Amino acid sequence: MLKSTTKLLAGAATVLALGTVSAAADIKIGVLVPDSGPAGLFGPSTRNSATLAAETINASGGINGEQIELVFADVGVPPAEAAQAALRLWKGEGAQAFVGMHDSAVREALIGRFNGQIPYVYTPVYEGNSCATGLYVTGETPSQQLAPVIPHLTESEGVSKWYLIGHDYNWPRDTNALAKTYIADAGGEVVGEEYVPFTVSEFDSSLQRIKESGADAVLITLVGGGSVGFNVSFAGFGLDEQAIRLGTLIEENTLAGIGADNADRLYSSSGYFASIESEAAASFAADFSAAFGADAPALNGLGQSAYEGLMLLAALANKAGSLDVDAMDAAAEGTTWSTPRGDNTLTGRHMAQTIYLADGSGGAFNIVASFGNVASSEACAN
Amino acid sequence: MSSVLFLNLAWQISTLALVALGLAIVFGKLQIMNMAHGEFVMIGAYAPVITSSMGLPGWLQVPMCLLTVALVAFALERTIIRHLYGRMFDSLLATWGIAILLREAVELIFGRGYQSVSPPIGGTLSILGADYPAYRIVVIIGIIVGFAALYWWNTRSKVATRIKAMVGNPDLAEAIGINTARLSAGAFIFGCCTAGLAGLILAPTIRIEPMMGLDYLIRSFFALVVGGLGNLEGLGIGAGIIAGTQSVLGAVANQTYGYLAVLTLSILFLWLKPDGIRSSSR
Amino acid sequence: MVYVLLPVSLLLAVLLLIPELFGDFVAYQIGLYLIYGVAAQGIGYLWGKTGVLPLGQALFFGFAAYVTAITLRAESGLIIDLALATAVLAAISVFSFLLAALIFRGRNESGPYFSLITLALVMIAEQVAGTMTNLTGGFNGMSGFDSLGNLDPFGSFYYVIVAATVVVSLLLYVLNKLPVNLIAKAVADNEPRLQLLGFPTHVVKGAVFAFSAVIAALSGGLFASHQGIVTPTSMGFGLSAEMVILTAVGGRFHVLGPLIGAVIVGWASAELRDSFPYWELLMAAAFILVVLKAPGGIAELLESGYRRIRPAKIGKSFEAIAAPTTKVVDSDAPLRFDDVHLQIGVVRILNGVSFETPPTGIVSVIGPNGAGKTSALNTITGNLRITDGSIALGKRRIDSRPPYKALHSGIGRKLQVPSVFFSMNVSENLSIAMMANRARLIDLFRPSTYQWRSKSLSDLLEHSSVPLQEELVEPVEHLPQGHRQFLEYAMTIAAEPQVLLLDEPCAGLSPDETALMTNLVREYQAETGGLVIVIEHDISIVEAISDKVLVMHLGQVLAFDTFETVRSNPEVQAVYSGGTK
Repeated sequence: MLKSTTKLLAGAATVLALGTVSAAADIKIGVLVPDSGPAGLFGPSTRNSATLAAETINASGGINGEQIELVFADVGVPPAEAAQAALRLWKGEGAQAFVGMHDSAVREALIGRFNGQIPYVYTPVYEGNSCATGLYVTGETPSQQLAPVIPHLTESEGVSKWYLIGHDYNWPRDTNALAKTYIADAGGEVVGEEYVPFTVSEFDSSLQRIKESGADAVLITLVGGGSVGFNVSFAGFGLDEQAIRLGTLIEENTLAGIGADNADRLYSSSGYFASIESEAAASFAADFSAAFGADAPALNGLGQSAYEGLMLLAALANKAGSLDVDAMDAAAEGTTWSTPRGDNTLTGRHMAQTIYLADGSGGAFNIVASFGNVASSEACAN
Repeated sequence: MSSVLFLNLAWQISTLALVALGLAIVFGKLQIMNMAHGEFVMIGAYAPVITSSMGLPGWLQVPMCLLTVALVAFALERTIIRHLYGRMFDSLLATWGIAILLREAVELIFGRGYQSVSPPIGGTLSILGADYPAYRIVVIIGIIVGFAALYWWNTRSKVATRIKAMVGNPDLAEAIGINTARLSAGAFIFGCCTAGLAGLILAPTIRIEPMMGLDYLIRSFFALVVGGLGNLEGLGIGAGIIAGTQSVLGAVANQTYGYLAVLTLSILFLWLKPDGIRSSSR
Repeated sequence: MVYVLLPVSLLLAVLLLIPELFGDFVAYQIGLYLIYGVAAQGIGYLWGKTGVLPLGQALFFGFAAYVTAITLRAESGLIIDLALATAVLAAISVFSFLLAALIFRGRNESGPYFSLITLALVMIAEQVAGTMTNLTGGFNGMSGFDSLGNLDPFGSFYYVIVAATVVVSLLLYVLNKLPVNLIAKAVADNEPRLQLLGFPTHVVKGAVFAFSAVIAALSGGLFASHQGIVTPTSMGFGLSAEMVILTAVGGRFHVLGPLIGAVIVGWASAELRDSFPYWELLMAAAFILVVLKAPGGIAELLESGYRRIRPAKIGKSFEAIAAPTTKVVDSDAPLRFDDVHLQIGVVRILNGVSFETPPTGIVSVIGPNGAGKTSALNTITGNLRITDGSIALGKRRIDSRPPYKALHSGIGRKLQVPSVFFSMNVSENLSIAMMANRARLIDLFRPSTYQWRSKSLSDLLEHSSVPLQEELVEPVEHLPQGHRQFLEYAMTIAAEPQVLLLDEPCAGLSPDETALMTNLVREYQAETGGLVIVIEHDISIVEAISDKVLVMHLGQVLAFDTFETVRSNPEVQAVYSGGTK
């Protein structure tokens, strides 16, 4: 039974109704979502996407013939508490596999606690370099988001002077380390690189530096609220006329916060946008709004990643014939499946997928390019 | 100093002084360590979201902001804050709870998502040889004028003296005819309203979401600590030092150093000059 | 001892039963709450006793956790791990002691500045931990190490946590039974008084802060080993605030309060977070309620419930033990003011006060209100710092020394408004006073020190008219003003100072009590052969007791002579008949 409700009452009735369908479930899957904390914004869309995935999986025969049931836990808390919440599902409720949409610190904590004993799919955008036993990754890595996109923008926008700005932690630094090589390969140069603490909400001095650097492109690896604040000020200072912006974690909610006025020539690179026009994506979006109402929290790449994660889990477990980690690890390489994102392949236990480049001008993402079957540079051995 | 750096400094200092003003009243005068101060800034920033969702014209944003914040502040003062006068640490703990309460309440009404507010004045102005957002220039001037008016009023009004008398000796103040309950409630609500107004003014330049308050709380506290709790000049100096340090170091080094320097500076002031820079003794 | 052993054995029994009854996984969860709870116990001791509220306790918790993580990754063996742990705890205790002692030096209260400093420190620490990726793993944290001694975090490591919990609880229970507990509580109760009794309160606060920091560090080390990962959040403001909340909710005045708070809050939020969408609202509301209505937290509620069933035993009498003699100070020399000036802000309080008392006898200080009498006494004890001139006792300069050194110079002080330890009973007040100028550090950790009573104090208490009864268990805040005057007097002379400063000792006393008080003062002076300086308004008392009279007016000495001479001084008459000129 799905006991949990989303915070938005609108969705609650639907979720409960869906829960009754899976009453006869045989396999419990733990879904780890951020209901609280800075990423709490993505809690509802993650839950909803996961619920939709469970529906789809059960409708097509479940995992190895058994119906699945989702059990949720809030992991938008510090790693120790998040690990506890996950362990409650595992040890307490008997979850047999996990799908997680949360930050990297929680992932590291979970890897330590799971210790390769249970399959675990990690779904959001992340910095790469995680290869624990039983861990499978659907999230976009920096190489996937940047390798095709930087040359494309260099070509289409004629930009060459890049300024890199991000929050001061692992993901932006790892992303930018890779970005530098792609920029150099595309014949561009890096004219500035900067990291700001999470606690800083004023970007005036950074904007001044960007202006003075003469940059014509800015790669943004700020997250959440910081990204909104930066982009609002960026346009306020009229810098949107000087430079294009490319973000690797600017999704629909962030764009809404930035506002239509401030989003001129703001590009985002991601494996998913709600506005992807493929048939699969359109039918997913239709199912989503049918199930959760038009007022449901906006679809976005992070929330939708939980759908990807569950679909990967089902495809892989079906291929391996069980939810046993050894069997799954052995079967992992080359698993293929299709989702709203497109056709995906598991290589090096990471997901090779279609990468979309969208332009946020006018306050809505408009897909301007897509790059099929982009593999991550990760190569986790089996 | 380049003119943009100068304008950035003016912007940072004036907005910090504005944000910290309410805390200066509530903490400085009433001795309530209001950890929910940032949440009042947040509620103020939501005022344009309220008016636009109700389809009201833009000029109603200011009355809407003041009304909402004053109502919330009034309700909290009556139910919680009034039990906390003279209990400084308890006020810190209880208002920490209030902060969570307000964040959750706003989240329930508006959701977790970011809101976006357009500035009433767009574009940039060329001033001192630099292109600077027109809205910011208007705000800087407005804050300076506002503070000048407040300073003028403060030197003439008896309210500040009465509040001081009340905090110093509530019984005596009551005895000489000061209605302490009404005066402290009024001061609390006024302080919260200035915070709300600050939120409204900043709204087009920042992110708006339920968790935004914490950003403003810490800096306000440190500005007050550095400047001293006594008066408006101290508030200005404190805001100048805190925002100035962050801005200048952020410009010449990087933001992380700026942030660490602000914290270090605050520690030194708290240790060596706990009454602020304007106190003569240690 | 039963009061110590009973709750601790109960705690041990409950904790040992948990894995048996609920299984290893529940024990693993409880283990984490216990780790937070132990850190919160340290906060509870610091905050509940001394009134110092730390907002950055995760600084020590996180630092120890990181060091533990680095050490365990190095896999250098249990012995080296434990040796390093000891070194880290020692380093943290020194650092935290110096931090608090330096900040509190020269102050006599625990305002918000210290709390804000600890807050700023933990914010710096969190930022640095997040930025120094090479050392700490940055935001993603440091992981990939086995627990201490390769114990199973889901199994046997629980017993390590239980051991730490029980040891810390036992230690706190024992400390509660020792005289040092009174000193710690006295800091929150009345710090200026404790200073005048010769206790360097900044050192006391430094020591208690260091103690709480070491407990936090200990639990931080356990945390790293238990969780297998340390991230900047373990060293952050959020965790620090969380620990304070656990302490407040559980009850900061009780040893087990913070533990109870940690387990209840931890368990409730783990249970409710996923099933009840408004749990954060609920937590916030509950927390506000605790702060407003139940400052003693859950533990206090439990205790008052228990007390309804079994009321506390009252009036336990004890055998007095002869107190050791006071530390010898040679101060039987005159007190000399030499052109003393005192200015606060723009207000000039003392304008060149000069006089020299006889080495022995009773000197009365008189003068209209605002003459600077009390301020003059404050400059002697160091409560006010003079702006110019000098004050000497014999050959030794005593101005600009902190108040806690006054008693070491042989100066005892009774304040204008009776200043006692209001939340304690008569017996506890007197026990603290008996420690003043007598107790060595070791004596603060010996239960027998409670029973110290000096002969002069016993004589005073046995005086049939003195209204002080040691059997009273009520806090002295409920005593009438007159009784408090006698209590403070008794506490002041308990340390047998050579120089006794009394500020209106007869204020609020009945005529009979006034006569008694003046007799006591005279007897004390006669017995010790020391110097007594009394501020007094009642001229008949002044006449009765004074060897010399010092008349002050507008911050200056108007006259200083025998009572008769002063009374016939025309200037003095002018001041007293015509008010201030």
